[in-house]
Amino acid sequence: MAKSDSSNLAREEQKLAFKLLIPAFLILVIIALYPLGQVFYTSFTDRTFATARETQFVGLDNYRSLLSVTMRELPAVIDEDTGEQVVDENTGERVYERPIQVLPREPRYRSVYQFNLFGNRYVLGARTPDFIRAVVNTLLFTIFSVFFETILGLGIALVVNSEFKGRGVMRAVMLVPWAVITVVSARMWQWMFQPTRAGLFNMIGTRLGLIDSSYSFLTNTSLQLPSIIAVDVWKTTPFMALLILAGLQLIPNELYEAAEVDGASKFKQFMTITLPLLKPSLAVALIFRTLDALRVFDVFQVMLSQRRYSMASYNYFQLISARRMGLASAIGVIIFIIIFAFAILYMRALGVDTE
Amino acid sequence: MSKNKYKLLKKVLFYFVLAIIIIYLLFPFYWALNSSLKTEAQLSMTPATFIPRDPNTGEISIYTNNYLAIFQDGQFVRGLYNSAIVATSTTILALITGSFAAFALGKLRFKGKTPALYTILAMTMFPQVTVLAGLYAVITALNLGARISMIVTYLLFTLPFTTWVLTAFFRDLPKEIMQSAQVDGATAFQTFHMILLPLTAPALVTTGLLSFIQAWNEYLFALTFTSIDVEARTVPVAIQYFSGALARQEPFGEIMAAAVVVTIPIVVLVLIFQKRIVAGLTAGAVKG
Repeated sequence: MAKSDSSNLAREEQKLAFKLLIPAFLILVIIALYPLGQVFYTSFTDRTFATARETQFVGLDNYRSLLSVTMRELPAVIDEDTGEQVVDENTGERVYERPIQVLPREPRYRSVYQFNLFGNRYVLGARTPDFIRAVVNTLLFTIFSVFFETILGLGIALVVNSEFKGRGVMRAVMLVPWAVITVVSARMWQWMFQPTRAGLFNMIGTRLGLIDSSYSFLTNTSLQLPSIIAVDVWKTTPFMALLILAGLQLIPNELYEAAEVDGASKFKQFMTITLPLLKPSLAVALIFRTLDALRVFDVFQVMLSQRRYSMASYNYFQLISARRMGLASAIGVIIFIIIFAFAILYMRALGVDTE
Repeated sequence: MSKNKYKLLKKVLFYFVLAIIIIYLLFPFYWALNSSLKTEAQLSMTPATFIPRDPNTGEISIYTNNYLAIFQDGQFVRGLYNSAIVATSTTILALITGSFAAFALGKLRFKGKTPALYTILAMTMFPQVTVLAGLYAVITALNLGARISMIVTYLLFTLPFTTWVLTAFFRDLPKEIMQSAQVDGATAFQTFHMILLPLTAPALVTTGLLSFIQAWNEYLFALTFTSIDVEARTVPVAIQYFSGALARQEPFGEIMAAAVVVTIPIVVLVLIFQKRIVAGLTAGAVKG
């Protein structure tokens, strides 16, 4: 009797759960099912935007052209007289054959990166080097920006969580960067990054005597990524901080009081109480932040446009400027797969409990 | 004596850190404010000045016409109105559907939780650009207006986020609360909206604020879906269409003025709701 009661209860619970999930899944079906299905389908065709040309089914061609990479050794250029490798007189660097000499031509591969390994020089070639670079850019961007955002966000949340006058105002101040419209904040930073002293950073740099000539943060290839990361860290740290702050609120004060009585140091309290109890909220914040960073678009589009791509801004370029819808969809699917892999890795690593 | 000194030192250090945080968070915003009060000529001064100054005399000279210009621009004011409607509706929809789903996923026992959570998360794994064409087709097929289109499509990023965050919070609430409510004869749904929901107030406010801001700032969908219906343009799109009095260059001062004006409602919103972020639990049963 008691057993059938409890199984009844379980069935009731299951029924209620499904009912509660209906609205969310209904919305999902309406706004996600068709668009996503279409993306998968289009990725196997050569569909182009706004042309009269018939769309053809091309199988995996789009994926092949995006993902084909090859690595070749670059032979040294040998001086015929001395039999030694030619050294550039101006730079003092050893001279190697140009990548175009060694990379396959049909289909055409272009150089992505060159690097030295065990005294040999290699070239990494790809059929769509811009896409491979976009993937690398996005991964670097994600790793660094999420790392800094988490550290800063945690720090800010801990400070704002302590008792002091004006913490209410501080909570609003904390969210200001996140509240500034992304497209506009990118323009604002672009203005601050200006390559003359009309830009904030060059003005401060010169005033403090740190730099003698003006830096052009957004055209210098070694400064582009750090600049973009700085912008994103400023913009999105509040997101992390607020989620972490809400998580901190869930930790009962009694635990700290008890630890205080036991004479545990603040650091020990942080390691044994705060961090473990914060883990679920931190994990969710990290997952969403990482997924968002991997899809980064606005900052790259506004600040670097076609000088340097993220995966999503390359997708945009192929769709809107090049009108290659098939290829653009394939890019979308590849991004999806990369993000999915990241999500699973994350949940494993953080031990996110889904059941 | 030394203990007092130690306390004082700690306090000074704390406020020092606090000050650095505030400067870091607010300085770029101050720079936008500063730029919004400058004329074209003042903006291109080298070196740039920390307060608007006259290019010739160096006297402080504040220029407010950028603000007048944006408020005389009907597009911008209408944009504010549209943004408010769209962001509020999306947030409310996301919170309702999201908290239902999160209660099921976080507190009820049923089979298929993991696939459900992953499916919801998978919605946010495509860049917005990728689904743009497909979404546009759906919207045209359903014949939705521009505002409704934005409200519904913004759920694509607000719903997974609210569902996941709220699920984590529901899961953290002690089982005893639900059990004792059931002993008292409350149905599971009553337990949900009368007991659990008030307890998750901090999470509701937090996710609500973050979703609202995300919707308020969204650009790409808004640009696409309002391309035909100019009246429905939201603020980010309206700002991009600023043409400026001198048509030869973009009106940077006005853009910055708009950035400042558009941020204010959010700050006010946070100020109104910020107490709730904390109050929810301290007033609740867990602290007891």
